[in-house]
Amino acid sequence: MTFIYIVLTIAVYLSSRMLARRFPSPFTTPVFTSTAVLIVLLLLADVSYEQYTPAKDMMTFLLGPATVALAVPLYHNRDVLRDRLIPAAAGLIVGTLSTIASAVWIASAFGLSDTIQATSAVKAVTTPVAIEAAVIIGGDPALAAAFVMVAGIFGAVFGPFLLTAMNITDPFSRGLGIGTVSHGIGTSQAVLEGPVQGAVSSAAMGFAAIVTSFVLPWFFPLIQ
Amino acid sequence: MFVGQIFLLTLLYQLSVVIVTFLHIPIPASVFGMIVLLVLLSKGLIHMHYVEKGAAFLNKHLAFFFIPIAVGLMAYGGLIKTDGLALIVMIAGSSIIGLFVTAALTDRLSKKVKGQRREHS
Repeated sequence: MTFIYIVLTIAVYLSSRMLARRFPSPFTTPVFTSTAVLIVLLLLADVSYEQYTPAKDMMTFLLGPATVALAVPLYHNRDVLRDRLIPAAAGLIVGTLSTIASAVWIASAFGLSDTIQATSAVKAVTTPVAIEAAVIIGGDPALAAAFVMVAGIFGAVFGPFLLTAMNITDPFSRGLGIGTVSHGIGTSQAVLEGPVQGAVSSAAMGFAAIVTSFVLPWFFPLIQ
Repeated sequence: MFVGQIFLLTLLYQLSVVIVTFLHIPIPASVFGMIVLLVLLSKGLIHMHYVEKGAAFLNKHLAFFFIPIAVGLMAYGGLIKTDGLALIVMIAGSSIIGLFVTAALTDRLSKKVKGQRREHS
């Protein structure tokens, strides 16, 4: 069955890419359409996520190497990054703090539990960091992974569209924004928008993870 | 050759996992590996030629590797039914705020820095 799940996942992904090419729209972003279609198919076939997990483990084997590979666009655009290091660092740090604070405040405004509020704080960063950071401030690691996925898909789907609506056309600032709030999944979309966006988004994803893990233990009690 | 490049990237990643684990470095192995490869490329210790094609392929299909993980959301049906709307507002709202603050601030500051440099020169 694992083999069938893998073939199915690849087929759905390739079709979603074709769909996105034919009908370019935020709503046809492959990571969004593929995930939605696969969830529906698995639910209809009465397959649990546990049954799908061996296939997942095999398919995600290259996620680590693929993230390492982001060093290549980073290298090609290193001069731009060096040149704009200070504005980028300021934007990234203030942006990270604002996304953490607003997530916690919105969660608390809805009267969500303390665990969910703590987990909300980590939703913008890449999964391994989110899981560890969530535990430190009293959040739930599994839920953190889920929030990270939704935030990533949201950023990939609406990030480019929102930036255009906000009148931000500079490729550097666009990449930085996407990488800071939607980590690898946003970056996977930024890479497709352009080489500068991809490179800056990769760097932003890394730095946002580092900033969050250092800042969160003292910043979270302040905003709670 | 192309498979060899992906193998090299995998090797670099696995090495990063070992280093991060043993030295207790508080960043994810993949991000650490990204920094290591960037340094190796910058110092000329690995020629771009040896990784470029494999990296381009993996970057192009980066979204694919997240899909099986995102499918894990199917296990949260119960939570989505009870708090789904509030959670969506929380994630969307805070992402929009973070996106705007990061991008707008970087954009403004970059223009200011550029303007100052022009004045000085």
